[in-house]
Amino acid sequence: MAVSPAEPPAAELVGVSKRFGPVVANDGIDLAIAKGEIHAVVGENGAGKSTLMSILYGLHRPDAGHVARNGARIRLRSPADAISHGLGMVHQHFRLFPELTVAENVVIGAEPTRGGVLDLAAARREVERLGDLYGLRADPDARIDGLPVGIRQRVEILKALYRRAEVLILDEPTAVLTPGEATRLFDVLRTVTATGASVVLVTHKLTEVLAAGDRVTVLRRGRVTGRFDTATTTADELVMAMIGRSLGPATPRRATRPPADGPYALEVRDLRVRDRDGVPRLDGVSFGVRPGEIVGIAGVAGSGQRELLDTVTGLRGPGRGDSGEVLLSGAPVRRGRHPAVAYVPEDRRGRATSPGMSLAENLIMGDQRTPALRGRLGLSASAVRERARTLTERFSIRAASVSDPISSLSGGNAQKAVLARELSRGTPVIVVEEPTQGVDVGAQEQIHALIADARDQGQAVLLQSSELTELRALADRVLVMFEGRVVAEITGEEAGDERLGAAMTGATTGGASGTTTGGTSGAAS
Amino acid sequence: MNIFEATFFAAVLTATAPVVLAALGGLLSSVSGVFNMALEGQLLWGAFTAVVFSYLTGSAWLGVLGGVLATVLYSAILSVSAVTFRADPVVVAVGMNLLALGLTAFLMRQVFGVGGTYTSPDLRGLPTLADLGLDVPVLGSQSPLVPVTLALVVAVALWLKRTRAGLRLRGIGQHADAAESLGLRVGVYRHGVVLAAGALCGLAGAQLALGNVTLFSEGMSAGRGWVAVVAVMLGGSRPYRVLLACLLFGAAEAFGFRLQGAGLPQQAADAAPYVITLLALVVAGAAGRRRQTVEAR
Amino acid sequence: MSGGPTVDGHDANGQHANGQHADGRDANEHHTDGREVDGRGVDGPVPGRRGAGAVVALAGRIVLAPAVLAVAGALVLTTLVMLAVGVDPALAYPALVRGALYDGNLEYTIAAFVPTLGMALAFAIPLRAGEFNLGGDGQMALGGVVAAALALNVTLPAGLGVLLPLVAAALTGALVAGISAPLRTRLGVPAIVTTLLVSTPAVALASYLVRFPLAEQGTGNAQTPTLPDAAHLPALAGSEYVTLGLPLIALLTAAWLLADARGVLGYEIRATGSNREFARYGGVAVNRLAAVTLAGGGAFAGLVGALIVLGPPYRFVDGALTAPGYTFTAIAAVLLATGRPVAVPFTVALLTILSAGGPGMERDAGVPSQLTQIVQGLIIVIVAVFATVRHVRRRRNARTEAGA
Repeated sequence: MAVSPAEPPAAELVGVSKRFGPVVANDGIDLAIAKGEIHAVVGENGAGKSTLMSILYGLHRPDAGHVARNGARIRLRSPADAISHGLGMVHQHFRLFPELTVAENVVIGAEPTRGGVLDLAAARREVERLGDLYGLRADPDARIDGLPVGIRQRVEILKALYRRAEVLILDEPTAVLTPGEATRLFDVLRTVTATGASVVLVTHKLTEVLAAGDRVTVLRRGRVTGRFDTATTTADELVMAMIGRSLGPATPRRATRPPADGPYALEVRDLRVRDRDGVPRLDGVSFGVRPGEIVGIAGVAGSGQRELLDTVTGLRGPGRGDSGEVLLSGAPVRRGRHPAVAYVPEDRRGRATSPGMSLAENLIMGDQRTPALRGRLGLSASAVRERARTLTERFSIRAASVSDPISSLSGGNAQKAVLARELSRGTPVIVVEEPTQGVDVGAQEQIHALIADARDQGQAVLLQSSELTELRALADRVLVMFEGRVVAEITGEEAGDERLGAAMTGATTGGASGTTTGGTSGAAS
Repeated sequence: MNIFEATFFAAVLTATAPVVLAALGGLLSSVSGVFNMALEGQLLWGAFTAVVFSYLTGSAWLGVLGGVLATVLYSAILSVSAVTFRADPVVVAVGMNLLALGLTAFLMRQVFGVGGTYTSPDLRGLPTLADLGLDVPVLGSQSPLVPVTLALVVAVALWLKRTRAGLRLRGIGQHADAAESLGLRVGVYRHGVVLAAGALCGLAGAQLALGNVTLFSEGMSAGRGWVAVVAVMLGGSRPYRVLLACLLFGAAEAFGFRLQGAGLPQQAADAAPYVITLLALVVAGAAGRRRQTVEAR
Repeated sequence: MSGGPTVDGHDANGQHANGQHADGRDANEHHTDGREVDGRGVDGPVPGRRGAGAVVALAGRIVLAPAVLAVAGALVLTTLVMLAVGVDPALAYPALVRGALYDGNLEYTIAAFVPTLGMALAFAIPLRAGEFNLGGDGQMALGGVVAAALALNVTLPAGLGVLLPLVAAALTGALVAGISAPLRTRLGVPAIVTTLLVSTPAVALASYLVRFPLAEQGTGNAQTPTLPDAAHLPALAGSEYVTLGLPLIALLTAAWLLADARGVLGYEIRATGSNREFARYGGVAVNRLAAVTLAGGGAFAGLVGALIVLGPPYRFVDGALTAPGYTFTAIAAVLLATGRPVAVPFTVALLTILSAGGPGMERDAGVPSQLTQIVQGLIIVIVAVFATVRHVRRRRNARTEAGA
């Protein structure tokens, strides 16, 4: 190891353990970050990365173990403590003030003043100076809510650098970036480490780790399962440490036979949608999904997926200047939720469930007007309960009682409940968003199997996911979105990282250009 | 009837001043992320306590001071329950408004021995600027609190924009967690502005009961606190816009009085400010943009 | 801080009564079962528990229920207010109870229960969907005026003479409250503000109509003439003041409770109140539902106006509808029920007794009757605090159980 006793690590976690109720998130973790290195921390969802970083940044206090800076033990009671000890963090979900300017965001909490009055000119100069120094240019007077995601991330980094962070933690920083932007980010991080500061890069993307990191620490189920130098390790080694076995062909569940060559179950034609400020979000999207087929949607966050799925599911009504149509089995549909489209949303607590209502009540939403649930006076209590019992059994949802609030279920079980409700309806079309986000590994397998089953029973599935492995395992075709358009269509088999990655940057790949929007509608006729 | 005469403008200012003061309190609370709907009750409480202290001390200025302090105390109900205990500020406000109505009516019977309206030659009202030797047009007939009100609008605007604390307050309202993690003490700021809103409502009540008139009557806030809430919705976090919204209300009230003078029934005058306020809401809403600011609350 | 005008639906609202004990110990009974557990703390024991331990636990649960704590806290604070201004609580409270329940006052109290319960529904129905209706006064006053105008100007046979004004008043109330719906759904202005802003002009309009076009000639009183006999609500046997309004409102309340717990619409309304986006996602027309609940609430307020006008003294007296403060007594009662509709009739009864006893207390003990408003205001504030504390604790428990 490069760490010599003469030079203590810039930051260190020593024997850190943390439990949440019965769940052990971190179990005796040691992690040392040397001065001037980029140290990657990798692991699957739920491996304990976030908890560990929260401890390093003072958001959680460890049950055992401690944090040290430059060899000296420190106590972190809050992020403010962490900041004052030279730690800085860029969260995956940015923590910026939307209605303040870039300069105000950078200095807030440590503002320069002159004669008791805010010195905004000094703030502006400081933003420009740091921007020049690290290659992080941003207009100091621009308001955050008008800036693209990439620039917002720069502001977050500037914020930490302004506070003289010597250890910069970045949580999944590339989730919102195109591969090109990600490369630029890594250049910036190199500039940062060149000044002697250290970077902790939390991610689950192994290609990034190997490209940008100096050393890697791998976590699995709350423990360290491997420490590597990127120069001497391979992706396979990292995968072994991450999941305890090598990846193999990640249980592909693609269709065994091609979908019926009949009409589309779901088709969209030339969708054009603008947001409130008149900015185009969908710019002529057309495609179709046949019965017995899973079509994946890939793309950098904010490429129009949200608008597309909200339009397909009818949750977004047509606004001014919107055009195009959604067809189910060839018939155009009006706005509003359509009973023939089942939908598993990404936002489980905000949209897919009502956390305060019981599991049984959550399981009937959407079906409350069907005759099967009718009793003499409105809903039949026994039918509602019966249905809940059947579904919990069939989809192996673990819950103490169907009359407990759904918020008392674990993430995986709540997600299975949502899938149970939507899949059991047997609708011709199913829209699924990020089905395994925040779900433990065991449940992930089950959920993938459920989606594949639905397809095999002849349902048409539209699957949006930011996990390329998930798309590769499930989708028969993948549509790649960029800036509101479908820029590439790739079959599941050939959906390698490079093909997808290139398409996600907007560089329309030559081979796929013929199979974009026009091509598929041609095939329909 | 000429509405473009000095006395009309004076009447508009008279009607507007208490609403502006209360609305400034609402604005500060709302900027910090606390929805303050208890302005109505605090305004009423401020009016009552200002009258009580003026009566007890024989000094209008001590009345103002007493009203302000008593209302700060009253606003602690909101700050403790909504900020410390995270209770729903809307429900708390409904309770506080009702409580103020009950307390003032109850206490006025206990303290003054009368119900309905209390006034007395012994009760000292605020002097006018003219009394103080400043006989300027329009403002001359007003109490000194009216120019103070206008100055406070400017002060709040500058404070929010140009000071450290103002910037931090805006940050707290927009993303409390982020502010907290930067080491800003969110609770302290919120307690501070909710209590400051209490002080402003106390001032508003004092102006209403000792400036506009010299008496206290049950329910004399008469919805002004609610109009202030609407003014904050219309003006967002911009003090000058809030002032404009309040002026609209004040003009409607002054105009209503004129109409009454011109022979229209009193009910029309009573209704006018509310109808105008509603129309303003509709117009502003239809003009778009409002949507985000109002929903963001 | 978000939450905003619609209030985080579930504090005051929605919610299945199946949760943790108020004292924070985890529920050792996971299924009290059945759908809505009824108003604990107010009425009978929960079936299915045996033994002394269970009785103690139940007693503890009743004593520590937020509603009971809120009433107790409010009474303690009110007593402090009394002591501070030199009123003897030992005189005031008995006088209050006497004024509500004894000396032949019970009949007045029951008569006041009817409009208060009606106004409670006017507030509770929209609240289930997350909307605040504070404009009950205006809806009630205009409902009353329409009922009076119809009764005075349209000659109808006995049965219809009552029915038509009642229906017309309900429609009027629904319309007045319904104005707020598009403002809420299209312009995003919270109903709590618009209902209140509409209310004052509505009351003013009613007052104007009663003082001028509909006024009784020659007396100078701000009231309509006595309504024709055909429009009189029949009094119940053996009573002078309690009319057919009591069974009517009881029936409607029962219907609402049933619809809320069992009806499809009730389910959709509760879902909307507890998570609006969830309901929208489930295909519920949430905007239409907001309008329906506001109008539904307004209909009850309008109906109450008619019930008052068509009852003794059988005329619209300006101010007589709003002066007793039914609207806010009802709001306090509904909030006191902390999201359990079955408890509403009981909390309404409790607060009606409190406010009906006020005049008796004023007469007998010389304590201003506004004291009862103080109690109500305090109850609302305290209930708001307790509801959150419980809610937060439940959420915390849920989170620890859920784990990663």
